[in-house]
Amino acid sequence: MNNQNPIPPIPPQVLPPIPPVMPVSGSRSLGDDPSERVAIPNVIVAIEAILRQPRRVIFQLRQPGAGRLIAAMLFVSVVCSLIYGVVAGTFSGGMQLWAAPVKIAAGLMISALICLPSLYIFACLGGSQARLVEVSGLLAGLLMLMTTLLIGFAPVAWIFSQSTESLAWMGTLHLIFWFIATCFGLRFLEAGFSHSNARSLAGFRTWVVIFLLVALQMTTALRPILGTAKTFLPTEKKFFLAHWGDCLKAPDEASKSESR
Amino acid sequence: MGALDELSPREISVLLRGEPERIAAWTGQWSARRLALHVVVIIVGAGFYGAAMGWWRDPQQALFTALKFPLIILLTSAANALLNAMLAPLLGLNIPFRQSFSAILTSFVIAAAILGAFSPLMAFLIWNAPPMSSATPSESTYNFIKLTQVAVIAFAGVTGNVRLLQLLSRLGGCRAVARRVLFAWLAGNLFLGSQLSWILRPFIGSPSLPVEFFRATALHGNFYENVFHSLLQLLQ
Repeated sequence: MNNQNPIPPIPPQVLPPIPPVMPVSGSRSLGDDPSERVAIPNVIVAIEAILRQPRRVIFQLRQPGAGRLIAAMLFVSVVCSLIYGVVAGTFSGGMQLWAAPVKIAAGLMISALICLPSLYIFACLGGSQARLVEVSGLLAGLLMLMTTLLIGFAPVAWIFSQSTESLAWMGTLHLIFWFIATCFGLRFLEAGFSHSNARSLAGFRTWVVIFLLVALQMTTALRPILGTAKTFLPTEKKFFLAHWGDCLKAPDEASKSESR
Repeated sequence: MGALDELSPREISVLLRGEPERIAAWTGQWSARRLALHVVVIIVGAGFYGAAMGWWRDPQQALFTALKFPLIILLTSAANALLNAMLAPLLGLNIPFRQSFSAILTSFVIAAAILGAFSPLMAFLIWNAPPMSSATPSESTYNFIKLTQVAVIAFAGVTGNVRLLQLLSRLGGCRAVARRVLFAWLAGNLFLGSQLSWILRPFIGSPSLPVEFFRATALHGNFYENVFHSLLQLLQ
């Protein structure tokens, strides 16, 4: 007997669109997603990748020819820090328009160079299988992400530069922006290490403290970055906490016209 | 019907109702006409509200505030666009620059539409208030009008952000990520918006000061320094 009430065909299921939420780092092996295996051909793609697909950058750093990617990331870091430096230099104007970008870019690169050997040592002590070139690449990624984010903060920094006379305020503001950008950069670095079979992140965390201290001391070693001075580099050696204390104690003296 | 075909001033009601699916489709497709429509709504809505706000002091102040109020919204959106677009993927919401910009602009459009709708009420309130002049100091009236302005602006801002949260939840598929992104965007926009408001003051005006577009001290000090010094004075 024919079935008079046939079961209606099940309509094809329409899958909901995949939400554009970033996958949790570390839940899958690097390169499982085919999009992570796509090479990074230029700096624009590198910037896009570090913001949206950090795993792709980490994967590409393990491939042969990672040197080009590292060079591209360092190039972006230098250009972005120079641009941010010009914005920082508008606070005082004059010579600082070129001195501030030079000091910020040089300070960042020197800090990274000083800290690279200790990062590699801590990585090895933590059981990481990362090679020196990969560690260098992760550090270059940190710098690129950090400086790219600083470019995002640049319009805000410029508006405040034009409307305040207080060096202490501007210094604090730049430090806050730098700190936020560095936090994101360090998050990328930690994600990189978590994929290198590291047994412990204790060494990495110790290195983070060292890197922060070096970068902060660099702001004092290369002063003035925001204010003005008679000499390009300081003649007196100071610890950064002592320098900041001096700036906060004498806010009137620390105006942009003074040599700080 | 495609999202672009629906472009009309009636879409403002869709924004106000907060239909995340349609709004998500709009933000996903770049349209210069839609952008122009949104900018016009911001200029008209916030402009009318600004005019009502400044009218108490002087008609010229009304004109200045009508120009400055939308300017703050547009400058904040533009200056923070790059930063907001970078923060979204870093906090877990992988949307392109244009979509993050459109989403933020959408929340401002909702706020501006609400402000525009409240502008006749505000104008009526101002019309009924005693004139602002140095001869007749009216501290209680001034405070009442100021608090009413704060309440209306807060209502518009909160509504815009609730709609933005719904949109971000839809785009990200996860409420926790949407909250994180909204918080980061809000922090950046409030930080810059407060300073821009400080630079572009006055809005209501003062009977003892002349009507002017910028104060002579517009670029002296910043909003946060002022708050800090006020707090110090209060504690001393």
